[in-house]
Amino acid sequence: MTGMLELADVHTYYGNIRALRGLTLSVQRGEIVTLIGANGAGKTTTLRTILGTVRARRGTVTFDGHRLDGLATDRIVRLGIAQSPEGRRIFPRMSVLENLELGAFVRPDRDGIARDLERVFTLFPRLRERVAQKGGTLSGGEQQMLAIGRALMARPGLLLLDEPSMGLSPILVETIFRIVQDINRQGTTILLVEQNARMALRVAHRGYVIQTGRIVLHDSAAELLRSDLVRKTYLGEK
Amino acid sequence: MNARRAAGPTALVIALLVYPFVDRAVGLQTVHAVSDGMIYVLLALGLNIVVGYAGLLDLGYAAFFAIGAYAMGLLNSPVLGSPLYGHPWSFWLCIWLAAGVSALLGVAIGAPTLRVRGDYLAIITLGFGEIIPVAIRNLGDITIDIGGWRLVERLNLTGGENGVNPVGRPYLPGVPFETDPIPWYFLLLVIGGLSLWAMNRLRDSRLGRAWMAIREDETAADCTGVNPISTKLLAFALGASFSGFAGSVYAAKLQAITPGAFEFQVSIMLLCMVVLGGAGSLKGVILGGMLITIFDRIVLSQSTTLVRALGRTVGVPLLATIDLTLWRWFFFGLGLVLVMLLRPQGLAGRRRTALVVTDADDAPIAEAPAAPPRVDAIPAWLRERAVREGGGPILEVRGLSRRFEGIVALNEVDLVVPRGAVIGLIGPNGAGKTTFFNVVTGLIRPDGGSITFEGASIVGLRPNAIVARGIARTFQSIRLFPHMTVLENVLVGEHCRLAATVPGAVLRPPSVRAEEARARERARALLDFVGLGGKSDDVARNLPYGDQRRLEIARALATEPRLLLLDEPTAGMNPRETETLTDLIGLLRRELHLSVLLIEHDMEVVMRISDRITVLDYGTRIAEGVPAEIQRHPRVIEAYLGTGYEQELAGREAPR
Repeated sequence: MTGMLELADVHTYYGNIRALRGLTLSVQRGEIVTLIGANGAGKTTTLRTILGTVRARRGTVTFDGHRLDGLATDRIVRLGIAQSPEGRRIFPRMSVLENLELGAFVRPDRDGIARDLERVFTLFPRLRERVAQKGGTLSGGEQQMLAIGRALMARPGLLLLDEPSMGLSPILVETIFRIVQDINRQGTTILLVEQNARMALRVAHRGYVIQTGRIVLHDSAAELLRSDLVRKTYLGEK
Repeated sequence: MNARRAAGPTALVIALLVYPFVDRAVGLQTVHAVSDGMIYVLLALGLNIVVGYAGLLDLGYAAFFAIGAYAMGLLNSPVLGSPLYGHPWSFWLCIWLAAGVSALLGVAIGAPTLRVRGDYLAIITLGFGEIIPVAIRNLGDITIDIGGWRLVERLNLTGGENGVNPVGRPYLPGVPFETDPIPWYFLLLVIGGLSLWAMNRLRDSRLGRAWMAIREDETAADCTGVNPISTKLLAFALGASFSGFAGSVYAAKLQAITPGAFEFQVSIMLLCMVVLGGAGSLKGVILGGMLITIFDRIVLSQSTTLVRALGRTVGVPLLATIDLTLWRWFFFGLGLVLVMLLRPQGLAGRRRTALVVTDADDAPIAEAPAAPPRVDAIPAWLRERAVREGGGPILEVRGLSRRFEGIVALNEVDLVVPRGAVIGLIGPNGAGKTTFFNVVTGLIRPDGGSITFEGASIVGLRPNAIVARGIARTFQSIRLFPHMTVLENVLVGEHCRLAATVPGAVLRPPSVRAEEARARERARALLDFVGLGGKSDDVARNLPYGDQRRLEIARALATEPRLLLLDEPTAGMNPRETETLTDLIGLLRRELHLSVLLIEHDMEVVMRISDRITVLDYGTRIAEGVPAEIQRHPRVIEAYLGTGYEQELAGREAPR
């Protein structure tokens, strides 16, 4: 069975530094799949390779039967993949509303955009409060919400989430993961990169563990939560 | 080994010494052009301090060249009519005066540009570069009339459009400066050599590191104890003084100066030399400067002759009359485009600025996690600095308020840090925690309230002054100096505890050498302590994320703080890294009596190491107390912790 997204034996380099060393991974339509691993293991690089902001030197990336490796990033986005990047990659001098509207840049349907804007504001009431404020003046957590909201505005078939819980308060971490599940139930497939393995594995269907650029373990999320490797290394249990 | 390493430079020195005589024997007649090239190289080296080291884009650098040349011309010209011109001063005195005048004007021009950066700074310098030649043109005929009383009548200060001609030449007994280009070559070789020597030493000094830190991240540098104002002014002044030397030699060598020699194009050509060779690299700038001048002065004219001869022989009139020197800007432009496309770091730029890895988290693959911190690894000098006495609170904040465009970021916040305590600062995202840090560290001025550190108010002090008082911080999103090495990052932290001045950095008397050696020793000890001992020569941006966090803490510790502000230090760390860091904070408090104010979302960390916790929501303090109280505080649960946390807490405690 081929999945919606398939990465096969992907090798990615930064200059001479090997970041991915033969990574293989697949995501089925309708799933939440999480990719967990330590800092520098290659999680963000995997997302970048999918979106084509860095190029795989070897291996293939396919999405809905399209080869992505070699396509320009804007073409990849038009195929229905959106990313909420890690950290603060929002447009700092544009308002919250403008940031969100830019997320829908590739869409022609005005009504649908208005509906999705309402949906984002329902998911993140804080963004509605700050709708006219410049993105750069938001707090770290609010910027994180804005980044996810902006990605949703593209109404993607596949949503790539890079560390959505980073820098968020405990209550917001819960909220974000609940929202991730909501988004998924509404029909969006999600590839979730997380440092917070416990939360990620609670919401995901399946998970992959990445170490030094390769997948070392993959299983259902429930099984991973029970595995020794995950519990010791990523859940901090002794 | 050593002999072989010394062979290259020795050969270069010999080549430089014999070159003009060989040139004469062979009859190449290139010494003139090469000497002019050396003047431009000297200028480019001065510009490199401003652009390459301090990262301030200067588009009007030729103005300083003009100032140097005119200072020499005005003081050393035997003819012009005004009283000043009647008594030409010695070249050997004027050259120092010219450098001094340029440096002073560098400060004068630098001062209004200090608050701006990037595009704005470039535009201001561009304006200045235009103003100077125009001013020189119009100061050739000054009449000042005040109420019918002629204060000044038709004073010729600069020679106007005609310039100053002639300019006196240097005098040394028995040296034919009048007739022979070779003495000029050696004069420039000496000035250039000395300048290079001084710049090399400056780069590897306390000051050079401060320039680079400003270039990398001005805010972070300010919060690490580097005064951006004096540091930038010094870059302008020193950059200008080198152009003062170059300008005065230029004026004396050419024997005549006109305003046309200092137009905008000259600034651009100098910038091309820096960029072509590689900003920040001395070798690169020399290479860039020499290539461009030799191409301009020798290659273009020679090839014009060649092409014309070719055109005549094959009978193409277009080629026979072509003048390639008119195409010089075309070739410069083309060269620059090619360099930017093929080698953006410049011909000799250091490779470390060219790495494509842009993000901390992906850089290299993380190896074994850091070893837990050890008590016996605490650097001895940090222990000596530890302050245990002092009864009252180390930090006392009362009624602190701050608004942004109508949004209340901080509303009458009170917070007290007792000496030696760890105080947690938590709250929902956007509650004003980082704003609180920014106000305490001087990045943002409060609208109201008081901040008292060790009994004295610190409101209104600049960030670097607050660091010097003893408050250090880290940033929520890591702000290291990414292109500097790990060791250099920590050394910038020590900046405010070191004393070396410009003359000290260049001449390196024993006191400066000792200070520098001690600084490095301390930095190494600190790096060993935080577990980065083996990585001191790595470039900061190439460190794995967790290492970058630790380096930021090491850099903060290097400022010898008594209060440390940590903004989400464990964000993005895995459980093991988090635990190591928590242990480190505990150790600092226990062993060094360091007071810590901690913003953190990892509740296990906060609850474990905080003595007391303050909770902010919408800029207002909603709770304050010991961890056990905060965990059960209904408003905190509602606004911040969430019921999930409450359940988890109950679940965790149940089996006990």
